[in-house]
Amino acid sequence: MSETLVSNEVKPMRTTESLKKPSRRQKVFLAVLLLLLFTYPLMQFVVGGLNYWLHMLLYTFMYIAMASSWNIIGGYAGYTSLGHNVFFAVGGYFTGVLLVYFDVSPFITAPLAGLVSMAFGLLVGLISLRTRGPAFIISTIALVMLVKITFDNWDYIGGTNGMTMPPILSISLDLVKFPFYYYMLLIAIGAVYMSYRVRHSKFGLGLRAISQDEIKAEVAGIPTNYYKILAFGISGLFVGMAGGIWGYYLTYLKPNIFLLIILAAQLVLMTVLGGKGTVAGPVVGAILFIAINEFFVANLGFTELNIVATGLILALVLIFFPLGIVGTLRERGKLPPFLDWD
Amino acid sequence: MSQFVQVLLFGLTLGGVYALMASGLTLVFGVMRIVNIAHAAFMIIAAYIAFFAFTIYNIDPILSIFITMPVMFFVGIAVYWLFFARIEGTARAGELTVLLTFALALMVEGLLGYFFSNIYRSANPPYATQALHFGPYILSAGQFYATLLSIGLIVLLWAFLKYSRIGYAIRATMQNISAAQVVGVNVERMSMIAFGIGMALAGASGSMMSFLFTFYPGKHWEWIAILLALIVLGGMGSLVGALAGAFILAISSALVSYYYGPTWSPITFFLALFIILLVRPQGLFGKKMEA
Amino acid sequence: MALLEVDDIRAGYGDGPDILQGLSMAIEQGKTYCIIGPNGAGKSTLLKAICGLLHPREGNVTFKGEVLNKLRTDEILRRGISFVPQDRSLFPDMTVKENLRMGGYILRDSKELEASIKEVLVMFPILEERSSQQAKTLSGGQQQMLAIGRALVLRPEVIMLDEPSLGLAPKIAQFIFDTIAQLKDAGMTIILVEQNARKGLECAEWGCVLDLGINRFEGPSNTILSDPRIQELYLGSQKQDRQEETV
Repeated sequence: MSETLVSNEVKPMRTTESLKKPSRRQKVFLAVLLLLLFTYPLMQFVVGGLNYWLHMLLYTFMYIAMASSWNIIGGYAGYTSLGHNVFFAVGGYFTGVLLVYFDVSPFITAPLAGLVSMAFGLLVGLISLRTRGPAFIISTIALVMLVKITFDNWDYIGGTNGMTMPPILSISLDLVKFPFYYYMLLIAIGAVYMSYRVRHSKFGLGLRAISQDEIKAEVAGIPTNYYKILAFGISGLFVGMAGGIWGYYLTYLKPNIFLLIILAAQLVLMTVLGGKGTVAGPVVGAILFIAINEFFVANLGFTELNIVATGLILALVLIFFPLGIVGTLRERGKLPPFLDWD
Repeated sequence: MSQFVQVLLFGLTLGGVYALMASGLTLVFGVMRIVNIAHAAFMIIAAYIAFFAFTIYNIDPILSIFITMPVMFFVGIAVYWLFFARIEGTARAGELTVLLTFALALMVEGLLGYFFSNIYRSANPPYATQALHFGPYILSAGQFYATLLSIGLIVLLWAFLKYSRIGYAIRATMQNISAAQVVGVNVERMSMIAFGIGMALAGASGSMMSFLFTFYPGKHWEWIAILLALIVLGGMGSLVGALAGAFILAISSALVSYYYGPTWSPITFFLALFIILLVRPQGLFGKKMEA
Repeated sequence: MALLEVDDIRAGYGDGPDILQGLSMAIEQGKTYCIIGPNGAGKSTLLKAICGLLHPREGNVTFKGEVLNKLRTDEILRRGISFVPQDRSLFPDMTVKENLRMGGYILRDSKELEASIKEVLVMFPILEERSSQQAKTLSGGQQQMLAIGRALVLRPEVIMLDEPSLGLAPKIAQFIFDTIAQLKDAGMTIILVEQNARKGLECAEWGCVLDLGINRFEGPSNTILSDPRIQELYLGSQKQDRQEETV
């Protein structure tokens, strides 16, 4: 019989997940994976015609980066942001303006775009994070609308028509996707690594405490305000960088494509599907979501049924598997090591 | 001066409609502690019903509330039963359910788009384009009638909450859910009824929307963002706050629209939201939020 | 057979662990019981399991021979068991009168309800004075009276009170205990959970000591009061008690 008293007012925190160091097998797995990803584009010279796959992969890298970043504020800290594509837009327009008006390549300015997005996040966080729960979610929605209307009416950046980017003409068609592929891969690696480091830090532990019970965390001495705002800011870093590259890749920027709420919805869905609050979750979720999306587009075309499908899948996951794939596997003790990075 | 009054009146006649929209949202939040992001999407369902009732059967949009309100009430009960009954009471209720309403909004938008396409619609009964003259001032007839009706419905809601047995139970659940349980209120059933009533109010709002604004499936995001800003401003969970927020924002956006141009008027809502969050995070009439 | 029987029950919150770990107790009609014990022992959980706010996972709660386990709170209220929760659980924006009316929510007969409310107001004249004031404007002691009054509107056979003297100044707490004595004289069966163990046991006939989710000791309350072991473990020494009373 245990001597510990379980007070009926305090719910015990889930300390069943231990923060272990990655095993040798895991490190080997990661090394092999990265090797494959880095060398894949070289297949272009062997087989050729891989542009579709390069596109899909870099698109996936981008979403892996964004979902992992969202996870820091939405998963670790428990503050659902439905306006994360604002960072994407800020980053995209930042590099866009520097390219169109000052001829500086986004490949150079993208990291700066990331920092600008982060600064933007810190500033906005100062205001938004004064609210909790649903009010915070609302403030993020209001943020997207605010930014969208502002961009729509800002002639310097093209208003509703946006800006066109000069394409890279100096590279052959075979190689044109290469720089974007590698850049996005690096961004994805950066974002996932950051997510991993946050998870295994005192900062990450503090965020988790905040997500479980903010008042108790504050009482325990955790600087909740500082942590929350920091989390929000760094969650914008890689998203902004990705946005900076994506606009260049698309060769145009328009408020309508960057600032639609459906994009925020997809980010949320990916992370929840994969497993909110875990390191591997957003990665798994992003890959799965893009695969499912491609499947639906191939069979249903670009109809509104895609939106229905997104909503339906999100609803089903929320009702039946709220912990996502990684979370549910872990709870049942069936999590394979290559997904266990927490 | 008289221009200013004219613009003020314009804002006032919209305020009532905004208040009707916000009251449904607030009721659901107050009882279930859920922010129903799909509220505006449901309003648009009702707008389509009213629109087709008008164009196919010649039913006056304002009178269509006798169709939209009961229909949406039962839709609300069904949605509650399908989606929320399962989740109520589990530990993660709060955040999960907001995301769930988000998913719901997507499904509604997709289905509406699939069946009715993305064409901009608007019903145009005669009063939609008529003007009423009050002395030197002109009011849009459509807006005026819509606001009168909205205020009437709000008064009915208030009377229902204050004097009926179910109204007591709903208010009790809003004020202190555990106390309500202790005195024997069936809080799950009250949540279901409140959700149904909230949807009925969305139904009436949709009927108004059908002739006051143009609508299409994707428009709900703009509306829900406005309504959400409105209830945060007024104080979440407070019906009085919803009213206050509605009128304040209707009037300020009318003023902004007049002095700075119509494209800037939606910004008023969102700017106001951030200012309120900076100065008074619980809104005008709200209580300090517990975590 | 006892009026209310709790038979080896296990109960807990949500998917959490069992707080009650096989608790048994027998409540006889017309007697007053005081339950004491350390924090987390399960005292509030027990009361909630009886009145339907929680359902026992194992074991039975039986009232007048009928098993209550699966019944809803309103069904249990109808059978004559009322509960006054620890935080009083009032409706802050409703008036005193409206709060009392909510106490009788399950009653359909408004005449009966009005009569009951009148009786309660006679019992607590201060509530009569403030009958149109909002509950949130009342002082701590007045709120506690309102909470008790609300439970009495249904004229229950059994009334359960969870730490009624919590947070109240000694004089007001004494008034509450006097009220409980009044209810006892009127023949009610009372189950009292009290942190102020001394005072609680003094107004009861029978005491139960709960710890770690089971009923550890029970006996006539003056036996428990004077038992030196229990004094040391649960009641605190004489000196400590004096300090507590000045809070």
